[in-house]
Amino acid sequence: MGFWLELIASGLITGGIYALVAIGLNLQYGLMRIMNISHGEFLMLGAYLTWLAHTFAGVNPLAFLPVVALALFGAGLLVYRLCFRRIARTSPAVELIEARSLLVGFGLMYLVQNAAYLVWGADLRGYSFLAEPVEIMGARFTGNRLAAFGFAVAASLFLIAVLRWTLVGKAVRAMMQSPAGAQLVGIDTAVLHPVVFGAGLALAGVAGGLLSMVYEITPAMGEPYTVTALIVITLGGLGSAAGCLAGGLLLGVVEALGMHFTSPSLKMLLSYAVFIAVLLARPKGLFAR
Amino acid sequence: MSIARFGGILSAVALAAACLPAAAQEAPVRIGYAIARTGPWAAGAQLTQEPNYIMWADQVNAAGGLNVKGRKRKVELVGFDDRSEAETVVRTYEKLMGSDKVDLILPPWGTGANFAVMPLIQKYGYPMIAPTATGRRLLGMKNPYFFAILQQPDRMMEALAEFLKARRVETAAVIHVDELFGLEQYTGLEAAFKEKGIRIIEKKTYPLGVKDLKPVLNDIKAKNPDAFIALSYPPDTFLVTAQAREIAFNPKAFYAAVGTAFPIYRDKLGPAVEGVMGLGTLNPKSSPAAKAYFDAHVAKHNKEPDRWASAHAWAALQVLEQAVAKVGLDRKALRDAIATGEFDTVIGKVRFKDGENVTTPGVVSQWQGREFEVVWPPDKATAPALFPKPAWR
Repeated sequence: MGFWLELIASGLITGGIYALVAIGLNLQYGLMRIMNISHGEFLMLGAYLTWLAHTFAGVNPLAFLPVVALALFGAGLLVYRLCFRRIARTSPAVELIEARSLLVGFGLMYLVQNAAYLVWGADLRGYSFLAEPVEIMGARFTGNRLAAFGFAVAASLFLIAVLRWTLVGKAVRAMMQSPAGAQLVGIDTAVLHPVVFGAGLALAGVAGGLLSMVYEITPAMGEPYTVTALIVITLGGLGSAAGCLAGGLLLGVVEALGMHFTSPSLKMLLSYAVFIAVLLARPKGLFAR
Repeated sequence: MSIARFGGILSAVALAAACLPAAAQEAPVRIGYAIARTGPWAAGAQLTQEPNYIMWADQVNAAGGLNVKGRKRKVELVGFDDRSEAETVVRTYEKLMGSDKVDLILPPWGTGANFAVMPLIQKYGYPMIAPTATGRRLLGMKNPYFFAILQQPDRMMEALAEFLKARRVETAAVIHVDELFGLEQYTGLEAAFKEKGIRIIEKKTYPLGVKDLKPVLNDIKAKNPDAFIALSYPPDTFLVTAQAREIAFNPKAFYAAVGTAFPIYRDKLGPAVEGVMGLGTLNPKSSPAAKAYFDAHVAKHNKEPDRWASAHAWAALQVLEQAVAKVGLDRKALRDAIATGEFDTVIGKVRFKDGENVTTPGVVSQWQGREFEVVWPPDKATAPALFPKPAWR
């Protein structure tokens, strides 16, 4: 029994990391249809900021996460103002927002990634933080993975609560369903839109900060995370915070079980099999309404 | 014409005459290459390979230039970013050799990229000495212009098998990355272990970019092998080390492949690396030449080179330099000189046979304190091996 517990727990924790990577993009793409394909690059920026603060100033990475969130939130407002505001205003339909923002996102991806190469070089970077194993009911986990998992769950629950039970959450959902209608009932979309976008980048940055404790970082690290994020939010249902968490956890557990019973090499096959099966049964994702 | 004017002309002539030797100085030797400065290959390429090219060109020019059959000519590097794409590698080398007609080329980074340019170097007749290409499949192409200066997989795995056999290791568990590199290493390992009578009790493969290997490591821990061997690439090398420590899986021998020789491996994982073994060739203690190389690298780039392929990249440049000094830039003659000569390099004497460096032995290295000590073969060792591996710290 202890063995199964450990196997599932290990899958859940990796799944938590997948969910963590996806939360920010879920706000931007899921709720606003801004296909920010440079999501992973901003995650990378968060990772580098945290690494810099820890390595050169000795700052505790966990304590530094609010700073990362603020910095990326500010960057988000700026990026929105420069790149996405016009798209959101001039596109007559959400499908067009998707298509146009995708192109802008590609540009941003190259810009941010190459800027990181110029500033920090191509070398692998990393540091050790909370790498000590912690024993929980006979199973051993490292603190940094537990922190990433904990944050993913907490942030997801927080978003679920905000979107469902607060006025702001309602306004965000209304803005998604009908931008013009939202304005008619007095929702200030000119403020709300950039703020939600900024929150998406802030979450990407925090995810990057947490991941920098677990994995090594390079300027090229972002792209695979963008792919993971896209799979997770599509699996969970666009815009659903609960779906994002469930989708990530499901992938993690399937991979862990698959690794035990078959071989890690089949993990992609298994993840995509689950992905296809879910989309066949529920084309809009697990938690879509 | 006034005297003043005449004097002006005279001095102009004198000036021109003074400039003549400079104008008549020979054009620089243009050396072209494409290498990853961006993308997933960049971390490896910018640690192991390109810093050596830049440092070499600087040193050669500071010493007055490259000795081309007795005449000194400056070196000009013509380097491009291949963006970690095989097609960009091929296109860039096609341009460098086909239309730019550079004098010499240097290799790109990694087995795949080298594999991609091999047909081109044969077509245009440019010798290439590769420090980051491994695999029998490349040498099996019998390309007369291709030289592999890094130890091949079978050689490294034989050294590992000898090391383990000498310590009475009987069982091993192996995981390897599902790429040409992992397959080649595993083939070498399987043959070497069979010969030495070491049983492989578990073998699993995993894909590149894996984020969790804990379930596999737990399964292997339950089987309690004497040795654990991960034929891994850098991100997974870090991952298996951190996760083996996480679950307290501490076999007598713990070996991981590419990345263990990187300084960042020690710097990120800290004291946890104590006793971990991996692919290496030398360290600053190996010889005065090695020490000089490490010091020069740190002085130039403000970072240490890795302890495996970096030195091979430097040695490849030394081979090229010595061959050019002997036969000049005629590339056919240069190829023959490289193929038949013996060269003094930072990794010791180098001689090629059928494109393979046959003088550098397979090496096993191990982290002890802050140094990646050579522990096998005994005549190259810089420290006695820690065996069995101490508990994770």
